[in-house]
Amino acid sequence: MEIASVEKLKGLQITPLEDEEEEEEQKAQEIAVDEDDDNDYDEDEEDEEEPVILGFVEKPDHSWSLLRQQFPSKAGGVPAWLDPDNLPSGRSCVCDLCGEPLQFLLQVYAPLVEKESSFHRTVFVFMCLSMNCLLRDQHEQWKRHHEKSSRSVKVYRCQLPRVNAFYSSEPPKGNKSDKPLAPGAPLCNWCGTWKGDKFCSNCKSARYCSQKHQAMHWGAGHKPQCQQLSLSSQLPDSNTCNGGTAAIKAVASKSLWPEYEIKNEHESESETEMSEDDAQTNNSLVSKSGMDDSMKSLLDSFEGDCDRKSWASFQERIAKAPEQILRYCRSTKAKPLWPMSSGRPSKADLPKCHYCGSPLCFEFQILPQLLYYFGVKNDMNSLDWASIVVYTCEASCEGVGYKEEFAWVQLSSASPNLP
Amino acid sequence: MAERGGERGAFRRGFGGGGGRSDRGRGRRRGRKEEEEKWVPVTKLGRLVKAGKITSLEQIYLHSLPIKEHQIVDLLVGPSLKDEVMKITPVQKQTRAGQRTRFKAFVVVGDGNGHVGLGVKCSKEVATAIRGAIILAKLSIIPVRRGYWGNKIGKPHTVPCKVTGKCGSVTVRMVPAPRGAGIVAARVPKKVLQFAGIEDVFTSSRGSTKTLGNFVKATFDCLLKTYGFLTPDFWRETRFSKSPFQEYWDLLGKPTKALLLDDVENANA
Repeated sequence: MEIASVEKLKGLQITPLEDEEEEEEQKAQEIAVDEDDDNDYDEDEEDEEEPVILGFVEKPDHSWSLLRQQFPSKAGGVPAWLDPDNLPSGRSCVCDLCGEPLQFLLQVYAPLVEKESSFHRTVFVFMCLSMNCLLRDQHEQWKRHHEKSSRSVKVYRCQLPRVNAFYSSEPPKGNKSDKPLAPGAPLCNWCGTWKGDKFCSNCKSARYCSQKHQAMHWGAGHKPQCQQLSLSSQLPDSNTCNGGTAAIKAVASKSLWPEYEIKNEHESESETEMSEDDAQTNNSLVSKSGMDDSMKSLLDSFEGDCDRKSWASFQERIAKAPEQILRYCRSTKAKPLWPMSSGRPSKADLPKCHYCGSPLCFEFQILPQLLYYFGVKNDMNSLDWASIVVYTCEASCEGVGYKEEFAWVQLSSASPNLP
Repeated sequence: MAERGGERGAFRRGFGGGGGRSDRGRGRRRGRKEEEEKWVPVTKLGRLVKAGKITSLEQIYLHSLPIKEHQIVDLLVGPSLKDEVMKITPVQKQTRAGQRTRFKAFVVVGDGNGHVGLGVKCSKEVATAIRGAIILAKLSIIPVRRGYWGNKIGKPHTVPCKVTGKCGSVTVRMVPAPRGAGIVAARVPKKVLQFAGIEDVFTSSRGSTKTLGNFVKATFDCLLKTYGFLTPDFWRETRFSKSPFQEYWDLLGKPTKALLLDDVENANA
């Protein structure tokens, strides 16, 4: 019984038992079944994926649009603390490896609609500027006992219910007149990031988060001003002390990254038009002949190893929206888009939440395009990563202040790309 | 008074939940031109290329830096890079519900002037496979050295010396040929050599050349070796130059840095 080969290619077939053997032989001759496909299969499978929201950076519309009462998502500059009083302090502010205070990378305003307590919810990411620390941090993140690990990348989450002591229960109007209910704790004059609970001993009005920043500010302009400030602070109404108002305060440090607002969009919306003209021409190129061993070996040798494959898939996905810097998909089933195949954490590598013990789930990942927007230098010791993946408590446990979450950094491997 | 912003959700449209409508007006991009201009580099090398600090592929080859973004090659080689689809084969995987057919595209790129690359990609659609293969080909681009058969008149047109490459059982030997000889080779390696920019060459192959994979890989290996062969031109001692990462290091630190160091020491004392 000759059955046309075209029909064989079409889906489901119900055939009597006796014919199966014949068909299989014919199939083997005509079309090779590629066993290697299993790896590619998973990568191409996009149907099961959760919808991803992408983040793009833009210059803020107004100077006040990134203040904390507007509940922004921003990158660079200073953090707009959600809870302005119970800021992280002490060991949480510094890199565990070198002792320098961490620099603000970005914050994501990601409220959870299901819970009352997370009506407002922001996740903050900080990292140390030094690439050496990041390289050492790689070893740290693989360690299993995360309470004792020393990291140079730290993530904090803060959430507030709708009715709280810091902001009004009504939505902000989106203009200059919005003000929070109370000024927050004063911040460091140099970095504008951490709590400024240490004073300059001379003028008593300049506040710093750490000795290092006091020293830097001293050399970078505070020394001449110090005398003047100490004189003015002796006056009865010294309003320079209060640095925690909602007004925009310029920070002294020049090494902070440029400030941007992060706007979000669904991934599917920002897809560019794929070229459809290729589709028609290629039907003729599809050869009807089967694939023999020659092609197979050729294809094996040039498809590259796992790292290359995952990088290629990563690039393809990114290409839909090349300016994205953030991929957000908070779900237990969500899989981050890994640039490399090496350096991925397994389930066991991820710790549980410090505070409530529930497992962590993937929330978002930061992409290296951000480094381009920040204008990071490209020399030997400048920052460079392939992706920073942030995992947060699945239950988004409650509490006052900032809770530490887990970040996984994947660095790009330096393997040569030759076949 | 109606409550603005959802009752449960937060005030602003944050991440998660509804995501966003594109209020940025980004919308659809027309055509492919804007895509290329909007390349945002992901790797350090990419950032250097975008900034214009690296002007030719040779600088990258000199330091054996891996090229991970195909836009780097696009920017450096430019429009002279041609690509050609050599073959597209359907491959199938057996599933419970019949066969799952995918297409493997096999693409060679080259500028006809000393650079070739080869890429293979498998995908559910032919167009996607071809696109992916072109990208992979650009990433695997290698330099090819050309030389003279006899008098050094005009541009180099052939291989500099007899070279041989081997892969599996196939060995391919390339022998310099005089001008006008053309590429004397089998169909598939001839194509690769044309893209490489070699005008005249005699080839000789041995082994099971029916295995196209090994055959083409052997010619590639051969081309790779053209720059690996030590000729008297290379006898001079190499002057090592700085890698692009070191070269563009901004050593012009801020002048206040020196003062700061002193202050810290004083404060600590």
